[in-house]
Amino acid sequence: MADRRRVNGPPGGTRPPVFASLQESTTGAAQRAQRQRQPAELRKIFLKTGLIPTASGSSYLEFEPSASLAAARSNPKSLIPPSSALKVACTVHGPKPLPRSAAFSPNLVLTTHVKYAPFAARKRRGHIRDASERDLGVHLETALRGAIIAERWPKSGLDITLTIIEAEDDRWWGDAPDSHDASWGMMNVLAGCITAASAAIADAHIDCLDLVSGGVAALVSDDSSKSASSVPRLMLDVDPAEHRSILSACVVAYMPARDEITEIWLKGDSSKAALEKGDVRSSHEALIDGAVDAARGANTVLSEAVTESIARSIAQA
Amino acid sequence: MASSAAASNPTIPSLNLPPSQFARLQPHAYLLAHLSPPAASDQPSVRANGRATSQFRVTSANAGSLTHTNGSAVVRIGDTAAVCGVRAELLHTEDIASWSVSTASEAEAGNTSQKGGSKTEDEEDRDHVQDLNLLVPNISLSTGCAPGFTPGAPPSTLAQSLSHEILSLLHTTRLVKADDLRIWYQPPNLESEEFRNAGEGMDVDSEQTGGPEPEIKAFWVLYIDIMIISLAGNPFDAAWASVLAALRDTKLPKAWWDADNETVLCSDNISDAQKLSLRGLPVSSSFCTFEADAAAGWRSVVIPNADELKSQAQKQGSQQRWILADPDGYEEGLSQERVCVVVDIEDGKTVIVKMEKHGGWAVDSDDLRQLVDVSAKRWHEMKRILDQC
Amino acid sequence: MSNQRQASSASQVPHLSPAELSYLYTSLSLPKNPIRPDGRSPTQFRPLSAETTILPGTNGSARIGFADGTQAIVGVKAEVEKTVLAADTLDSRSLAQHGDALNREGEEGSAAVSGQGEWVQMSIEIPGYRDDDALPIFLGEMMRESLVGSVEHKDEMAGGLKARLVINKRWHWRLYIDVSLFLPLDLPVSATDIMQVLLLSQPLSYPLPLLSLTTHLALLSTKLPKLKSTGEEDPFFDDDWAAAEYLYPRSKPSSGAFHPVRPPVTLLVVSVGENVIFDPNREEISVADAVLAISITRSHDSEALKLLSIRSIDPPSRLTQPGIPNSENASMLGAAPTENPSQEEVTGVWRPRRGGIKRSVVARMIKTVLGKGGVGEEVLEGLEGVEVQ
Repeated sequence: MADRRRVNGPPGGTRPPVFASLQESTTGAAQRAQRQRQPAELRKIFLKTGLIPTASGSSYLEFEPSASLAAARSNPKSLIPPSSALKVACTVHGPKPLPRSAAFSPNLVLTTHVKYAPFAARKRRGHIRDASERDLGVHLETALRGAIIAERWPKSGLDITLTIIEAEDDRWWGDAPDSHDASWGMMNVLAGCITAASAAIADAHIDCLDLVSGGVAALVSDDSSKSASSVPRLMLDVDPAEHRSILSACVVAYMPARDEITEIWLKGDSSKAALEKGDVRSSHEALIDGAVDAARGANTVLSEAVTESIARSIAQA
Repeated sequence: MASSAAASNPTIPSLNLPPSQFARLQPHAYLLAHLSPPAASDQPSVRANGRATSQFRVTSANAGSLTHTNGSAVVRIGDTAAVCGVRAELLHTEDIASWSVSTASEAEAGNTSQKGGSKTEDEEDRDHVQDLNLLVPNISLSTGCAPGFTPGAPPSTLAQSLSHEILSLLHTTRLVKADDLRIWYQPPNLESEEFRNAGEGMDVDSEQTGGPEPEIKAFWVLYIDIMIISLAGNPFDAAWASVLAALRDTKLPKAWWDADNETVLCSDNISDAQKLSLRGLPVSSSFCTFEADAAAGWRSVVIPNADELKSQAQKQGSQQRWILADPDGYEEGLSQERVCVVVDIEDGKTVIVKMEKHGGWAVDSDDLRQLVDVSAKRWHEMKRILDQC
Repeated sequence: MSNQRQASSASQVPHLSPAELSYLYTSLSLPKNPIRPDGRSPTQFRPLSAETTILPGTNGSARIGFADGTQAIVGVKAEVEKTVLAADTLDSRSLAQHGDALNREGEEGSAAVSGQGEWVQMSIEIPGYRDDDALPIFLGEMMRESLVGSVEHKDEMAGGLKARLVINKRWHWRLYIDVSLFLPLDLPVSATDIMQVLLLSQPLSYPLPLLSLTTHLALLSTKLPKLKSTGEEDPFFDDDWAAAEYLYPRSKPSSGAFHPVRPPVTLLVVSVGENVIFDPNREEISVADAVLAISITRSHDSEALKLLSIRSIDPPSRLTQPGIPNSENASMLGAAPTENPSQEEVTGVWRPRRGGIKRSVVARMIKTVLGKGGVGEEVLEGLEGVEVQ
């Protein structure tokens, strides 16, 4: 049934365009992008707070485009983007009184809300939140609730809204949807959301134990032959479009000052990782440690942004 | 300067309130104090935000930064920010329930008579763009852009009305040409020969033109999604400017009907892609009126003949109301009456594309005339900004 | 606002006073041998009764009930569906034509056997929750992601469950897994009384192992009709149900044949102090320091278990009401409560958990699940033992 509250397109539905004869075109779009970074090298993060003055706290986060995307932007040849880079806007409203109908809560009640813009991903998203967006909201809430000192605001609510303006790809676009069986891009999105929300919460002057930041590590296999000898490698902050297959990935929300994880989401088969000799960790531990390292990297950006936010609020006072 | 204005207001006892608190407690008096400084002081009449009455906020635009769109733009007007992304998808004519041969041939007639008269083309555009819903603008305010909007809730009344205003403006300005959205197919001659051999003498027309007539196989549908990221008053101007900038940035891939696969295929080569050719550059400017005594208009007894005299007298006397261009959220909260003027300038001639006024009594025809001039000035400013982005 | 239901968390958080919480926490965190309210050992599961193939109209079904009356019923339905090639991927035909055909050929071959995760659909029904509420979605996603991502084996079920669903290049099975949870009647859960934002923190996440074990059993009992057609023709099946094949290959437990591929199980593990506790009940989970849902399955090359996914669940202890130490209690000593309550722990006084988990704790929790002779093996063996009619 058509949604009467929105402007609807043609009733018969539309189809996304299909691009033809890529092999003949000289645009280079048919080549899978290659990772140009070192395995432990993170993408740069642009993070700025206070851009949305109507909110109590706000932040805007952007991942640096991968080398292939940067090249495609500066010298456009093909209409098919090789990969995409996360762009998130986050607002925090509150603390504000809970609605009258709500029961007494001795703690600050968090509401997290993650929504993709319809144009955020390669496939057009709907206007109503789908299961993956709700799932992200739950992950994010878990990550933040561990960091916020909630009992300082009894009977209060805090609304955290994240708008994903551009999402990360789940796989290289040329791969069939079955070749990567999971939504790996979602994990990058979650990591970005955690860092952005943390900055916005600090910008709203909500007391936290520490700045919590998100990081992703993954086991990737770039070997085209699917033999058993292909050894997956551990990489931080992967762009799924740059890899043939991702076996397993882990995202954590991490507080460096306490060395604690408030949220962990690991999925995939992590048993085949090849660690360096003498490394006694099991592979999932290595994966979690990798994600923590990535989160530490994000934390340096985060603390700079928060320092900026504090400097601004002092200047205003 | 704000504090001095506040302190000089006679209605306020000499309480030493910081201006920001005064602004919250007595918003109406605060803005009034700014707009009508005492005659003794030689302060100019400015708004609480430091702008002159007909001054717009600093505007910036940036286009083409989003990866997964055919065209995109970010427009900031002061603290109001809108992100617009245009996504093109295909509507095959076989998916259109009402599509029949007759409409197809009508479209054809319209196409060939293009040179003859532009009116036919315009009507044709309306038929296709409007009737087939080829433009789908939707505005979203559930982004946490302002405290009042619940994220995840269905579109608020404001969001619904803004979406429809943008849709109707897109249709009435006929900004997007239907011909840019059509995907034609010229059946090969071979087929027509077979056809002719099979049923000779049936299709005299095609024989005369020396081939089968081209037919429309599909349309591009433009999904125009606008996310208001930050809302501090005047969402319509920001949203419309972002739509305009995004459409100017939009590139549609070259598409053709592939008879073998019975589908439309596109070329990903960027040099084959075509920009939309838009009709004109309609720029919208919004205003609100601020009245010294907001209820005066409603209280006064309206006597048809006396009314004109009275308003004349009012004008000559102390100015009781101000028309504020590009209101911010604070000013919008203090006013009832809104005016929206959309103008375009062609060959130095100002064309009023749309004019809308509602919510009060204060603005008269002289004012509207002035507002058109202000809007024309704004047009030049916006054109410069949009050309740069 | 219908979808922002705000209401009491009181009906969800068990009615435990801070003193009771503190007592429970202390007894569960006793070094080495924690004392659980029901006298279980840390790794012991609640007694449960299980049966399979209870719903004749399904391909596979199972029911597991706890002694307290909570039970879960899972039905698995399989339907044949046409495989649609996604339009936006590189066409393998055109790829094979141009260059590096050999390599691509191999890829195409592998694509033919690997299925898509979307072919497994899971819906969870919990009384009092709408199907788009956060809890059912979270639980569903959690179980589905380990299911579709589960292991493969060279001889049996190469490519895992997804590949098992492939019939030929054009057809596949679609699995619908419907999980229903039934709560004992004395448990008040009403739709209006759930605060959406608190959902997952609620001790309601405690039935997760129940749901997962039941799903596992239902999948083990799932049979697909025997395929009679061959190759790429449209599939048709043997209508003799006795000839149907198990989705996951299995044989009589007595034969002792070892089947490497098994559906995953998701276990709920909590840490309290230094202890790791399995299958927590409502009260135990509400004092946990950390709650992890860990999905495991049997690994193909060794007898060891394999980790499929970990998700942290927000521990409900973060939402509990803190206790007030006597030193700060005005009614006890007459002293005015201090502005900043002391942050350090006072023995015997409940304080909601704060912060996250140490990595070492995560590692220990995983190890207890995966280790040889650990809980995971025990659970999988127990499930294998359930007789399938």
